[in-house]
This record gives sequence, structure tokens and C-alpha cells, in this order.
Amino acid sequence: MIELFYESGTLIASGLPDGDHPPEPFIWDGRTRQWRAPASAYREVSLSLRGSSTPHRDRAAAFEKLSLESRVAMEPRPYQRDALAAWRRADLRGVVVLPTGAGKTAVAVRAIERVGRSALVVVPTLALLKQWYSILQDAFGDSVTVGLLGGGYHEVTPLTVTTYDSAYIHAERYGDRFALAVYDEVHHLPAPKNSVISKMLLAPYSLGLTATPERPDGGHDLLPELVGPVVYHLSPEDLAGTYLAPYDLIRIPVELTAHERHEYAEAEAIYRDFLKKHHLSVRSPEDWQRFILVAATSHSGGREALLAARRRREIQAGAVRKGATLENLLRRHWDDRCIVFTKSVEEVYALSRRFLIPGITFETPARERKEILDRFREGRYRTIIASDVLNEGVDVPDANVAIILAGSASHREYVQRLGRILRPKEGKRATLYELVTTATGEEFTARRRRESTRGIPV
Amino acid sequence: MLRSEHVMARVSRGRVVPHRLSTSDRRVLEIAAELCDLYAGHLGQPRAALQAALAEREEELGPRLDARRGFRIVRALAKLLEERASWEPPTEADPYTVRTRLFELAAALPEPPAAEPGLLAATTRDDLLSQVSIETTLVDPSAVMYADRQAAQLLSVFDRPEPEALVLRYNVAQAQGVLYSARDLIVDLGPGADARLVFHYVKLMGLVYRLETTSRGYRLHLDGPLSIFGGTRKYGLRLAKFLPGLLLTTPWSLSANVEWKGRDAVLELDSESGLRSHYLGPREAREPDEVREAFVKAWERAKDTGGWRLDAGAEILPLPELKAALVPDFALTSDTGERAYLEILGFWSERSLIERVALVREARRRGHRVLLAASENLSATKETLSEAVHGEVVPFKNRLAPKAVLEALTDL
Repeated sequence: MIELFYESGTLIASGLPDGDHPPEPFIWDGRTRQWRAPASAYREVSLSLRGSSTPHRDRAAAFEKLSLESRVAMEPRPYQRDALAAWRRADLRGVVVLPTGAGKTAVAVRAIERVGRSALVVVPTLALLKQWYSILQDAFGDSVTVGLLGGGYHEVTPLTVTTYDSAYIHAERYGDRFALAVYDEVHHLPAPKNSVISKMLLAPYSLGLTATPERPDGGHDLLPELVGPVVYHLSPEDLAGTYLAPYDLIRIPVELTAHERHEYAEAEAIYRDFLKKHHLSVRSPEDWQRFILVAATSHSGGREALLAARRRREIQAGAVRKGATLENLLRRHWDDRCIVFTKSVEEVYALSRRFLIPGITFETPARERKEILDRFREGRYRTIIASDVLNEGVDVPDANVAIILAGSASHREYVQRLGRILRPKEGKRATLYELVTTATGEEFTARRRRESTRGIPV
Repeated sequence: MLRSEHVMARVSRGRVVPHRLSTSDRRVLEIAAELCDLYAGHLGQPRAALQAALAEREEELGPRLDARRGFRIVRALAKLLEERASWEPPTEADPYTVRTRLFELAAALPEPPAAEPGLLAATTRDDLLSQVSIETTLVDPSAVMYADRQAAQLLSVFDRPEPEALVLRYNVAQAQGVLYSARDLIVDLGPGADARLVFHYVKLMGLVYRLETTSRGYRLHLDGPLSIFGGTRKYGLRLAKFLPGLLLTTPWSLSANVEWKGRDAVLELDSESGLRSHYLGPREAREPDEVREAFVKAWERAKDTGGWRLDAGAEILPLPELKAALVPDFALTSDTGERAYLEILGFWSERSLIERVALVREARRRGHRVLLAASENLSATKETLSEAVHGEVVPFKNRLAPKAVLEALTDL
């Protein structure tokens, strides 16, 4: 009788009579004298053995049944229900494309509930790791302990959240335990390094979530093989107006003090000289990468240019008047639900100390982060300040004011930050402030960002 | 181990050569010593202070080493020193409780805490800090608010290396760094190389091997379970951790296929490359070998060895199903060309005994004649010994007698 085993990210078939081949895609591994396939072949192999009524024993899968019932009462929006139905029609395997802010996680929570078996959720960042922990704990905390793998946590349970980086390293140890794999921001999966993750998992069911499946390197062509085909697709235009709240954008110019202006001019001169000397122009994040590369490997002046570029940014970000302006805004919106965004982790801690408002960065422990966001939701905290951790796909419902202190010019980041505020709420009109230091590069950055968000009502 | 951004190498004619520092270069040793001083001088200081000092020093020390890459070299050296440091929290108070209390008090106010006392007598930030100060008896609650951040931890222990040891560690670490992006590793073991030690690390790192005999010894192809479906760099990190294990023995040479900056290249090293391991080696290998030496002497003195010849073992019995190999201590050859093997366990834990017995059993199953002799000394009684291995052991007390081995040979 054929026996299937799981071994370090692979599937082993043993007990075959000599001369017999197990079904595709097993190959003979002469190194260890075994028939071996990637663990991801499990679904196909199981179906084929069952289909042909071949007697076999499955010692590979160590999935657990979970009786899960979400305790968060949530009426799914019609498109969320459609997305889930489409995924089920595709035999619980495929990618759901929903715009930021449309509640991708709600779809995943329902999927996990429906499958009712051990599940692994793979996410790109530590911030998302913590957010998913919080969501799953809210939904299923009564029936299971939610596990965390990555960012200093190593607690694997039948419902575990991990990062792509940690899964790359550890999936081979736990790849037999999960029946369902959920890939958040699934466009990260086809990256050359990450694609091996799904190969190490037996998981016969998989769900990929993203707002933007396309990859510049064409890697999205691999998605059908790694997770399944796109089974549902909804674009931001389909949602605008109906589910996304309108908001006002208020740009507040902040002038540098005389001292700051002087220092800025100095740093600017060094930086510009270097760009000119090396025929560089910096208009996009890619250009910036190129500048870093040239400066880091340049024999003369590269180091100085890097320092000047950093100093320039520091002056922009840390302008004295910015702090005073922020204080004003906090006063004005003390009775609103307000989130302050800044690029710098140190600035989060400095402002948290200064205004005694809770700060969230990638360093914040999962439990505390959940507590802060819960209290913010309940209204016990009025304002929170966060570094980039609240970016990609991270959920902060019911904020109606956001203040951006310094942001990079990334198109995606900006759209997704807006998404945070655009949570639908009865009669709500959100306000987005952008504090931009004048006569510096930030003006250009802010303009470019707005230009790239056409299509969303401003 | 270094982070990828610290790893430096040059490629010439398809070969990748890891960056190296010379232990006879005075400048190098001076800078290594300065960095050690910097760490040692920060005992009891917060991490942020050390990091700021490092950033400052690297601007000066870096260019002295290398105009272009000096910063990275200094950072890499500091990273290796970091592995010898331990950190502790700066306060016994619980920063989480302190900050949470402050946030709650502030959020309960009708307006944000004022920076300075004003005419309207609003609650100020100082008022809140004073209140928490009284509640917690902390002098300055705002200083404790985020004392649990990594940056606030204090350097409690620093195991200071000699500058030369740091440089040697650096050279190995750079070679390891190149191996991070290796798809596989081919190791040729020459005569006298300690194959048992090598297989100890193969097993420890969860690598899969393929063994070939060569004219000079053995060739091992190392990669991982998934490698068979097309080269993956997933096992690069393990191959990197394997390297210092290999460095404990000699002679050998290795070559690895690496993907360096998007191009295929080969890393080649051998036991003459001047790399020095920082691993201590498995415990058994560090113990004195009196039992084996005494046995060899006793064998030489023995009048009658029943026509058997004893050779110190350099033979590998591959056991692919167990992803391991048995490297017996001795090979025994009879007049008639029969071959048997002898494995001696002088000091052993129950676990190592069981592991070794599993290997011996598998080797026997594959038709090899293997004797296992284990010492009854130490904590072991005859009962636990035979229980652990179901009587497949030749027990001995202080020394193993050739006679006992010969008797067991006839029984086997």
C-alpha cells in the first residue's frame, strides 16, 4: 500500500512495489532513496489516488479540525459574499482582488471559518502580523489560541499568523499542519525567494488576497500555480462613492525657521552638486535607489552626499514649526478620532512623550498594539501616532482625521493610507491634513502624490 | 553571522572571492582593537549610545581601512562583536504600565495636556507626570515611558575577543555570507579528514548528502530536500552554518554554486585557505581518546588476533535513508578478506547511545558487520545499557579487551 509522509517541505511516497511509480509529480530521489514531490503536490496526489481508488495511507497531513464561529457579528457586504462564493466555486483555491479598504480580511475570516481546519496566514510585514493576530483573536479567540511565528514570536497553533520571511525559513517544519493557507498581499508570493513557501505547504486549500496582483517582473503569471487563479476582481472605481467615504484634503504649509533654512540650504547644495556631477535626477523612488547606490559606491563625495541627503530629510521632517502646528491640530480635533502618521520611528516616540499620546511602531508588541487600537476604537484614546506600520492593508476603523507629518512619495503607500480614513461610517466626512515644509522637496512630493490618486474623490 | 548587506566579495572569471582582512596588517588589528574597546567601554550604557558612538567612529575608522568599503567593514566587525554582547532592561519599573497610565490620564482631559501652565489653568503635561510620579514613586516617569525599547537596553556582558580572533572570525563570516546565496556545496574530503565530524554537521544542519568515493577519499554533494526540484537558495544559510564545522578538520576542498549579484559564480575554498573555525566541535570529539588509544595498544600487544587486522577508520558507510552515515572507529580485515567494523563509545549519554545504535542497526541491515562497544563506566549500569540497545553491545569497564571484540566477532 502506498504511504504518504511529510518531510521537510516535501511529500514522500513509500511502500510501492519495486518497479512501480507513484503518480506525478513524484520523482525518484537517489540521495535518500525515496519518491519525493514538493509538499504542494499533496492536493493533486490525494485527488488522483482517491480518483483511481488506489489503496493508500495518508501519514502526511496533520491538519486539525477546528470548530470556528466568528464572534464578531458582521453582515458581509455583497461583494465580500460574492468573492467568497467565487472562491468556493473554484474548490477553495484562488486569488481574490479587492481594493484597499474593501475589507479583504473579512473575506479571509469567513474563509477560515468555512474551511474549519487549521490555517496558516502569511503576511508581508510585522505590522500586518500583529494586525492579523488581533483580528483573528477577536473573531475566534474563544475557540482557539492564535499563534504567531516571526518578529520574535515562535508559537505555532492550529491558527497561526506568520510573515513571508519567517515562512521561508520555518514552513518546512510546520508545513504538514495546515489545511488552508491564506496569503495576504499575495503579490509578494511570486517573489523569487517567497515562491518556495507554498511549495513547502501541504495545504490543499489556499486563498490569496491583494489589491494589486500585478508585479513589474511578471511574477503574477505564477500565481495560478502557487495559490490558484484570480477568482474574483473588484477595482477601486467599482467601489468609489458607494463604500468609500468622501474626504477633505487640507494642505498646511510649514515654513522653516531661519536657522533651519540655512542648514537646509547647505545640505541641499552638497546634495545637488553630487547629483549634477553624476548626471542624476531624483523624481521617483527608483531614482532615489539609484542615487543611494551611486553615492554608496562613489570614491569621492558619496558619503557626504548621503549624509547631506539625510540631513535634508531630517530638517524637512523635524521642522520646529511642524511640532507647533501639530499641537494646534490636536487641540482642534481633540474630540475627533485622529491618527498622526510620520515616517520616523524616533519621531513617534518623541511625539508620544511630548503629547502623552500612544505611539505605534514596528517595535510595539502585538498585545499592546491590539490594546491601543481597541481603546482607540472604543474612544478611550482620542489620538494615536504611528510610523509606517499602519500602511499596507492595516486596519484602523472609524478614524475621521488623519495628519501626515512626513511621507515618502510612494504612490501605493499614499493611496493605502487614505484607505484607512475612508472607512464608511454614517454621515462621516473625513479630513486629511498634510503638513508640508515649504521651499523644500516635500512640496514636490506632495504634489506628485495627489496627482497619482486621481479617481478617488477629493 | 553577518547580514547580507555586510557581505562583500569580488568576482573574477566566474569565481567569487569573499572579502578578507589580513591578521598581519597593523591597521586592521588596531581598528579591531578600537572596536573592542568601544564595546567594552559601553558596559552599563544603553544600546542607543553605543550605536551612536559606532556610527561616529565608523566615519573615522572606515576610510582608514578602505576608502570605499571601509564603513561596511567596520559595520561588519561591529555586527560580529554584537554576537558577544548581552543586554538587560534599564529599569525595574514596568514601562508599559507607566506609559499606559499616562495615555489614559491624558486622553481623559477635556483638551490636550498643555506644554506650559497658562492663564486658564489647564492641566499641563508636568501635572500628569507629577501625578504618575507620586503613584509609582518614579522620579521621572517620562524617561521610563519607553525604557523597554531595544535602544534603551543596557550592555550587561561583553565577551571581549582578541583583535586577531575578531579578524579571523570576520574572514570566516564573509565566506559564510557568500554561501547564503549558495544552491549547493561539494566537499572533497582528503585522507585523514574527520568524516564523522563532517557528518555530525551535515545532520545538525538538516542537509541532504550524496556520497561518492574519489581517488583521494570522499566527495559529498550537499543541498536540501527541495533542491531536487531545481536549485534553490533556501539552504544557503544552513550551508553557511555548516562551513565552520568543516573548518574543524583537514584536508578538504569545497566548491559551491552561488548566485552572486544576479549572476552564477563558484566559490572555491580548501583547508589551506587560512580560515579558522570558531565552533568548538561536538562534545565527544573534544574528549580525550584514551579508550581508543589503549585499545590500539592492547591490540598490538595481543598474541592472537584470530587473523584480523585493525585499521583506524577512515571509511564511511552511507545510510541515505537516515540522512546520516556511520563512520566507525576501526575497520577489521581478516586473512580471508572479510570485513567488519568496530565502533567504540567511551563516554556517552543515553541519547547519543540510542542514536549510534540506530546507525549501527541500519548499517547491519544493509549487510555491514558492525560491532558496538560501550563503556559501562560513568552513570551507566549494565541494565540500562542493555535496555537501551537490546543487548547489541559489547560492554567493557575501564578498557576494551581485544579478546572481547574477537569473541563478539565470531558471534556476529
